[in-house]
Amino acid sequence: MYLTLKELRHDKLKFSALGLIIFLIVFLVLFITGLANGLANDSGSAIKETPAKTFILQKGSQARLNRSNLTEQDWQKFHSQYHNDAAKLSVAQMTIQKANNADKKTDITYFILDRSSFLAPTALKSQTDNHVYVSRKLEAEGYKKDDIFKDSSSGNTFKIAGFVNNESYSHAPVIYLNTHQAQNILPTSKQFNAIALKQKLAKNSKYQVISQQTLINNIPGYSTEQSSLYLMIGFLYLISLFVLAVFFYIINLQKISDFGTLKALGTKTSYLVQHVLTEMGLLSGIAILISFGITYLIKIKMPASMPFSLTLPTLLATGLLFLFIALLSALLSLIKVLKIDPINAIGGNN
Amino acid sequence: MSVLELQNIIKNYPDGQNVNEVLKNVSFHVEQGEFAAIIGPSGAGKSTLLTIMGALLSPSSGTVLLNNQDISHLSKKKQTEIRLNQIGFIFQNSDLIPYLKITEQLQFIQKISAKEPLNAKKLLQQLGLDHRLNSYPNALSGGEKQRVAIARAFINQPDLILADEPTASLDSKRGREVVKIIQKNVHQQNKAAVMVTHDERVLDLVDTIWQIEDGKLKKIKNH
Ligand SMILES: Nc1ncnc2c1ncn2[C@@H]1O[C@H](COP(=O)(O)OP(=O)(O)OP(=O)(O)O)[C@@H](O)[C@H]1O
Ligand SMILES: [Mg+2]
Repeated sequence: MYLTLKELRHDKLKFSALGLIIFLIVFLVLFITGLANGLANDSGSAIKETPAKTFILQKGSQARLNRSNLTEQDWQKFHSQYHNDAAKLSVAQMTIQKANNADKKTDITYFILDRSSFLAPTALKSQTDNHVYVSRKLEAEGYKKDDIFKDSSSGNTFKIAGFVNNESYSHAPVIYLNTHQAQNILPTSKQFNAIALKQKLAKNSKYQVISQQTLINNIPGYSTEQSSLYLMIGFLYLISLFVLAVFFYIINLQKISDFGTLKALGTKTSYLVQHVLTEMGLLSGIAILISFGITYLIKIKMPASMPFSLTLPTLLATGLLFLFIALLSALLSLIKVLKIDPINAIGGNN
Repeated sequence: MSVLELQNIIKNYPDGQNVNEVLKNVSFHVEQGEFAAIIGPSGAGKSTLLTIMGALLSPSSGTVLLNNQDISHLSKKKQTEIRLNQIGFIFQNSDLIPYLKITEQLQFIQKISAKEPLNAKKLLQQLGLDHRLNSYPNALSGGEKQRVAIARAFINQPDLILADEPTASLDSKRGREVVKIIQKNVHQQNKAAVMVTHDERVLDLVDTIWQIEDGKLKKIKNH
């Protein structure tokens, strides 16, 4: 620690530059992670935030809600067994417009549920007539409470009774309808897409039984977005491991003769290892904390239309993982330090 | 009693197919309060001999007794410990740590050692470095750096001081001053010191002179 602090004090510029590089990388990782999470929420939060663990779909529907059709008979089977732990769900991706403005249309997703089912947000229990609850995301499109909007294809109008959280499905804000309200919009309202269950269920030979996550993974666009973003994040970690290792290595290389002298004077190798690790750890730690701060500012300032989400656990986990990567890089760069022969200090060889 | 005694030291370096026999059956000793010099042509093995004395290198055969303890074949870890606590080094280029201020150069040694600390500032003042205590090494002249290196060698109160051409990078006047300082401290503190040198003009300051040639060491000036 003694050497570390003295060295950081003396070579402020060099270490600030290194800290800046670490900061930039961590910030990029955090930013992309936030974007990936944001997009994931934007794609599947309406499903993710329900307590449903299992979804029952028609056999052969390839885990896609819009390819699945279930009937009243199917419902009876599950309802009689699971009672209120089962719920009907229909999803329809449609377009709405402001009642007095035909030019501005917005893509939305209708979630059609029984008003009393466990899938319904609490506010929905009081949803009557043509009053509907909608995702807060619609606010960004200029909709306010008590606004009236028109379903573009059927021409039915609804009044916004209130906003629920940022639920969205396949990047479109969700509008909750009860079965009764949906009748005029969807002609085949006797049928529905899926049955949600609170329980975990493994298999049923007559239906396709999938977990919540599988359903989300199969929302159009979800997997491609997520896998490409996570590929980027993965590569960023890998790149930072090597970039930092090289930087640390070069910095240690400059100090080889000092390390030789220190060893000749009787400094234990373990002390030097500790010195290098503390130095890099301290530097990375500070850089990570600063990028936490900047990311937080960005999160606040980010417009609602841009999906960005970073929870505290994700933030901390990313920071820890990065600290680990930095220390691993420092360890790689230490190979040279371990090999230095103190003998070089004698004879004026350095 | 000798502080350091070398008995029948042989050191070989592999040299392609052959072996390069640098030290051929060398014996040596230095007592408390004695300042010894080793001279000899370039490539004769002076530095090699000094690294063996300083527990930096193990001889091919022979015994190295430091305070009657054989240090010739210790583990690296034990060697490091011996260097820290029993030996003080003065290197040719002074080799100060660039990011430590002058007082900190000494403080650091005291930090990593368990020995009773001396007053570092006082020691530096005695060497005429009062005005340099808070400078970094790059602000010092060659002679000043070498004086700091001397202070660093003495700060941990080692029994043995080893210096490899401490005057090589200094002009003759400064070089002589530096050797005088070493001499004074060795005598005052009753230490044993070995200095390798090319500079014949400082030899009047040492107590004993040894010459190395063709791998053989012989004493050419007695106390
Ligand atoms: N690590 C090594 N491997 C092989 N040979 C070595 C090694 N170190 C020294 N030698 C050889 O040992 C001999 C003595 O080297 P040494 O450095 O001890 O000489 P020196 O007397 O200190 O010379 P100088 O006055 O030039 O410093 C030289 O021939 C040198 O080539
Ligand atoms: Mg030499």
